[in-house]
Amino acid sequence: MANPTHILVIDDEPQILRALRTILTAKQFRVSTAASGEEGLAITAAEQPDLIILDMSLPDIEGIDICRQLREWTSIPIIILSVRDSEKDKVAALDAGADDYLTKPFGIEELLARVRVALRHNNQAAGASKRTIVRAGHIEVDLAGFVARRDNAEVSLTATEFKLLAYLASHAGRVLTHQMILSNVWEPADVDKIEYLRVYVRQLRKKLEDDPEQPKLLVTEPGIGYRFLADE
Amino acid sequence: MSPTRGSPSIVGLPAPATYGLALALSFATGGALLFFDGFGPVNKTTIALVFLLPVGLSATLWGLAPGIIAAGTSFLVFNYFFIEPTHSFTIHNSEDLIILAAFLCITVLTSELVGRIRSNLAAATDHEQEALHLYEFSNLLATSQTERAAAQALLDKIDLALKPIRIEVLIESSPQPVLLAKGLSVPDDGEVASRPIVEPLQTARGLMGEIRIWRDRDEKSISDTDEHILKIFANQGVFAIERLRLSETARKTKILEESDRFKSLLLSSVSHELRTPLAAIKASVSSLRSGAVEWNSEARTELLTTIEEEIDHLNVLVGNLLDMSRIEAGELKPQKKPNMLREIVSTVSGRMRTQLQSYRLFVDVPDELPLVNVDYVQMQQVFTNLLTNSLKYAPTASTIKINAAPAKDSRFLEVRLANQSMPVPAADLDRIFDKFYRINPSERVTGSGLGLSICKGIIEAHGGKIWAENLPDGLAFHFTLPLS
Repeated sequence: MANPTHILVIDDEPQILRALRTILTAKQFRVSTAASGEEGLAITAAEQPDLIILDMSLPDIEGIDICRQLREWTSIPIIILSVRDSEKDKVAALDAGADDYLTKPFGIEELLARVRVALRHNNQAAGASKRTIVRAGHIEVDLAGFVARRDNAEVSLTATEFKLLAYLASHAGRVLTHQMILSNVWEPADVDKIEYLRVYVRQLRKKLEDDPEQPKLLVTEPGIGYRFLADE
Repeated sequence: MSPTRGSPSIVGLPAPATYGLALALSFATGGALLFFDGFGPVNKTTIALVFLLPVGLSATLWGLAPGIIAAGTSFLVFNYFFIEPTHSFTIHNSEDLIILAAFLCITVLTSELVGRIRSNLAAATDHEQEALHLYEFSNLLATSQTERAAAQALLDKIDLALKPIRIEVLIESSPQPVLLAKGLSVPDDGEVASRPIVEPLQTARGLMGEIRIWRDRDEKSISDTDEHILKIFANQGVFAIERLRLSETARKTKILEESDRFKSLLLSSVSHELRTPLAAIKASVSSLRSGAVEWNSEARTELLTTIEEEIDHLNVLVGNLLDMSRIEAGELKPQKKPNMLREIVSTVSGRMRTQLQSYRLFVDVPDELPLVNVDYVQMQQVFTNLLTNSLKYAPTASTIKINAAPAKDSRFLEVRLANQSMPVPAADLDRIFDKFYRINPSERVTGSGLGLSICKGIIEAHGGKIWAENLPDGLAFHFTLPLS
């Protein structure tokens, strides 16, 4: 490839750096690594990578502060790496501008899927043609036509239900925190009303999922938010 | 009679007003007597007696000066209107002067008596105040949970009792000393007058801190009573802080003992649990690297599956250990948010689908249940651990039932997970939630031995309770979650 996608991995653990470098290089990405927050920020400024994979616990700078600093001047997609039980930190990092997260230990398929979604969203934001129809299995969300179809038959949705579905579908593949969803679909004043969200997600699942108990479209990210899984 | 306590009137009026009142009272008496005199002459002695009223009243109610005014006025009115020759101030009879002298004597005596009573009353009130301050102070100290709170109580109560211009309380506590201050800032001019009165906070083991008090410049030394009060407060403060320190030490010791015991149990239990998956992974990887396994063979796939499964197993183990150490340290803080219990149960049963295949799982957690304020991840952990436990002890193809319903008073949600495992001896029903507890220690059951105790830790951190119950055909775990 003439101009391979450039990924910067910031993590202080050499084993993780080595593993990610090997795997991502094998997948035809150009990979840079940084072992500290300072180094990571410097490489980002100098080389402007296409995507950053950032560990949340670095020795010098908190991951969330790196997110904030980067977001002051760039919209390079950031995927954060974190451990289980730090949901609060993950939510804070996502709300501070990170695009997605992965919980250590993670599988490589998961990592590559996140990378693809983040790159795609960034391209769309950069002006590439925006999808107006999002497909997921036999569900189709027509963002321009304000309608959702299941096996080509229109699904009757209330205005709020559609607004919620449209917001999730237009960010397909990406994790959205409760706060992001509530402030975008409801009013910014409603960011604490998670109970609304639970009830509406439940209704959407009943209308759209084959098995609302085992959702495949509207999946819960425990303690963080929701993710709409569309066809690639 | 002290000048500060005697002169203000009981009724709380300013001095000029009391003079006026004394005057008015005397004139009013005179007026009333003139009125009655109109109906028929009143005896002079009676009149003199009646005039004692304004004199006595003024001296009693308002003190010496108004009393004298009343005495003077009464005498003048008496003289002018009732003593021959009337309508003149001339005194013909020395007897009349005796009346004036009597009036004045009565005034002085009365006000002196009243003054004494008042100062006794004031002293009694002071004592009562002091006792009340002390009582409140010891109450406040008894409920103080931190040294800072105790120091604050000390500061506030001394301030209230002694009313100094400035007070400081210093307590040498770790990690840093507590210094609290109240009142005006002290001019740092090195004058003797700005030096504080210092009361050390002395314990059997040495100096713990001190109380510094600055008083007005003109009050050269502290009164005996005040010094006494200060010492009592200081002693009480020392006791309270010592009590806090001792209970803190006791608490730490208990935690240390617990965690020591926990760590040794953990080492023995976990080293085995950790080595087993590691051994499997090592064996699989080395045979894959040896080249003995063909690239596209079924054996290769199987080895890789083993590695992945064992790694997941290790991850669960490490997660359990972390959870347990957090629970031990009291650091398991649930991120509570309104959640649908049904969703949590469905996620867990979906994730454990493969293991649950050989069992019959019935879930009755209605959609209509009120939302519960819980940590989603931790509640997943509870259901995962309870299900894992059931899978370990219940025979294959047996039934597992999960159901949930609000308690009768709607203050709790009651959740029940019933399986068909062997009954637990009644005496051990509580102990199965203990760390590393095994019903039959010789039994080789895999696992960290922490699953149920983690459930207990999580449920209790949510303000609920968890217990187990033997059923005719199995075992049921119950737990409650508070509904807001």
